[in-house]
Amino acid sequence: MKILALDTSGLVCTVAVTEDDRLLSEFSIQHKITHSELLLPMMEQIKNRISLDLNTIDAVAVSAGPGSFTGLRIGCATAKGLCLAMNKPMVAVPTLDAMAYQFYGSEYVICPMMDARRNQVYTGVYIFVPEKENEKHREIFFSMKTIKAQSAMSVNDIAEELNNIGKTVILLGDGIPVYRDKLEELLKVNYILVPAHMNRQRASALAALATIYLREGKTVDADSFSPEYLRASQAEREAAEKAAGKKETKADSGKNGRKSGIASPIYIRDLKAEDITAAAEIEKACLGAEAWTEKQLLEAATRDDTVYLVAEVSGEVAGLCGVRNISGEGEVTNVSVSESSRGKGIAFEMLSKLLLRGKAIGCESFTLEVRGENKAARGLYEKLGFVNEGTRPGFYESPKDDAIIYWKRNNTND
Amino acid sequence: MDNMNSEKIMRRTEEDGVIFMSIKNEDEKAAESTDKDITILAIESSCDETAAAVVRNGREVLSNIISSQIALHTVYGGVVPEIASRKHVEKINGCVKAALCEAKLTLEDIDVIAVTYGPGLVGALLVGVSEAKALSFVTGKPLVGVHHIEGHICANYIEDKTLEPPFMCLVASGGHSHLVYVKDYGEYDIIGQTRDDAAGEAFDKVARAIGLGYPGGPKVDAAAREGNPDAIAFPRAKTTEKSYDFSFSGLKSAVLNYLNQAEMRGEEVNRNDVAASFQKAVVDVLTEHTMEAAAEYRCKKIAIAGGVASNTSLRKRLEEECEKRGYSFYRPSPTLCTDNAAMIGSAGYYEYLKGARSGMNLNAVPNLPLGNRERRYHGRS
Repeated sequence: MKILALDTSGLVCTVAVTEDDRLLSEFSIQHKITHSELLLPMMEQIKNRISLDLNTIDAVAVSAGPGSFTGLRIGCATAKGLCLAMNKPMVAVPTLDAMAYQFYGSEYVICPMMDARRNQVYTGVYIFVPEKENEKHREIFFSMKTIKAQSAMSVNDIAEELNNIGKTVILLGDGIPVYRDKLEELLKVNYILVPAHMNRQRASALAALATIYLREGKTVDADSFSPEYLRASQAEREAAEKAAGKKETKADSGKNGRKSGIASPIYIRDLKAEDITAAAEIEKACLGAEAWTEKQLLEAATRDDTVYLVAEVSGEVAGLCGVRNISGEGEVTNVSVSESSRGKGIAFEMLSKLLLRGKAIGCESFTLEVRGENKAARGLYEKLGFVNEGTRPGFYESPKDDAIIYWKRNNTND
Repeated sequence: MDNMNSEKIMRRTEEDGVIFMSIKNEDEKAAESTDKDITILAIESSCDETAAAVVRNGREVLSNIISSQIALHTVYGGVVPEIASRKHVEKINGCVKAALCEAKLTLEDIDVIAVTYGPGLVGALLVGVSEAKALSFVTGKPLVGVHHIEGHICANYIEDKTLEPPFMCLVASGGHSHLVYVKDYGEYDIIGQTRDDAAGEAFDKVARAIGLGYPGGPKVDAAAREGNPDAIAFPRAKTTEKSYDFSFSGLKSAVLNYLNQAEMRGEEVNRNDVAASFQKAVVDVLTEHTMEAAAEYRCKKIAIAGGVASNTSLRKRLEEECEKRGYSFYRPSPTLCTDNAAMIGSAGYYEYLKGARSGMNLNAVPNLPLGNRERRYHGRS
């Protein structure tokens, strides 16, 4: 798949053309020339240098925001014009996701920050999770997990967020030079400032991520698309403040431009910080007093010896599951599906993926406990290859029930 | 034109891959301008209207799509640049597609892409400029950057197919008040302009002061029809002798003072009378200057352009004065007076014939001057 990618969201004007895992060309300029004067001449250069036939492009990828309002519009209007004239789909990649994707395979937490003025940054928090398609393969690949989806927040808030996660973090973006002293003062975790070739937007990373989006069918309608500014205009903010009696208003966070699960009605993905409330509610509805709290879930999901997945059905969290690696033994700590979404095979799909992902973080076998009376769940676990290896009599309260201990050893059949 | 110079510029195009405007030599120009029809796709996004049009040979409008944002900005009492720019991004592709569809053409049938690159709101202009450049890049069709005010003037070519330069044109809109002598196609001499507020700006401010709201022009026009234009004697701005420049800020202040004094005395103000008297003062000045300039330049063709050109009182007065003197009077229909892309298609056509071509580095120029711009493509230094 051939992708033409462009990013004008920040100080860098950057264009790239990729074909599958080959970077055919990349051109970046960070200089005192407007993006409007640079972008098309740069594309023209690339087109000439690699004799690019625009008809062979499969999609145009654009940085979907946040960023400089004017910069985003130059990029978007250009991408829209390209899509219209070429009659090709558009792939919109969140700006900060594309920036973080430059650190593919990193073991550190990644936190890009763009200066958003007014003492705020556009920021998000990401990690890379190793996976294996099959245990027999030596090859490891990574999926990028969003711990905190991109948003506009104060430097204090993001520093606190990073301190709570408690791990060494890679910092990048044009917000870093602006707030470096403040971050030094606020951060209680170690941080890494990265060199010039990886500390700003790069269209090659955008194109690489867009290739995955395109493969998953995540394109947007170029005609109606508009970038994610993450902030209302000043006039709208003032009008809203007036209307709300000077109450603090936040930018519309409801539409974060992410459309998931277009291809299939059930979409299994990593648990994100935004899902915590919904996930905790499902836990509570399923397990009552034994349910985990939001805090417990968040703590568990951000450890690096765990995998937490959610099932998304038409934009809503419909189920969650998680596993923790305790010296090679994967303890499945949570499995729950909301009542309205049961009977659709969601738990089976979630758990199948969870077992694969668990293997990737080093779980050689898996274990879980279930109420003796929960026939449906027991059937499911047995179908997945779990074997009943024992009972804890009267383990559960209200109603009193035995806990059945299941194991899936690495010698059992997949 | 200097052929040496034109060759030099052409060579730079090949080396750099980019250039602002290049020049074709006279023979090529002549060959192009004769037999073949030229169909232009034009884009305009300088203020609060997103517009696209298809125009043939500068005069025949095949489609003219305007997506207005007026309702959106009414809430804020005027155009909010950031909101306008965001809306343009949402609407631009839809407008271009609709314009092609209504003209029953595809991009392949288009010969030239024209776009407004100034003057206007920079964020708004950039949307149209970026879109137009992308279209030109993919299709390989030549790109022509157009001056917004030249577009307004050229709306007259669309309205009256017989109009040819030279003529005197009064341009009055929300952002501009110019008296322009159109010597030839694409050649403009500014002989007078506003020293402070544009005429349309004065309308908007007065409308706000007397509580009529936004947009001011049409609302003052309507109120004035119900009022007495001789009720209040507002001053007629006099700039220095022998100058055709305008000044409207004094008049605006006089209206505000009048309203303040009335309020202090506790008197009820007749809004319609204020509107009518204010409008008459503006119309008097605009008409007087236009007629004096026409006499000096011995020009018997008078045209008007811009949003304020749809003001009924101004149209009526100019028509009467022209009739008295035996001049021909040209005015675009109200749709062509507002911001639209058909007028950009017309101006773009004459620019194209004159050899103007924009490079892929075309930028939005918010304060693009009208008069001395021609220097660029005649290669004078």
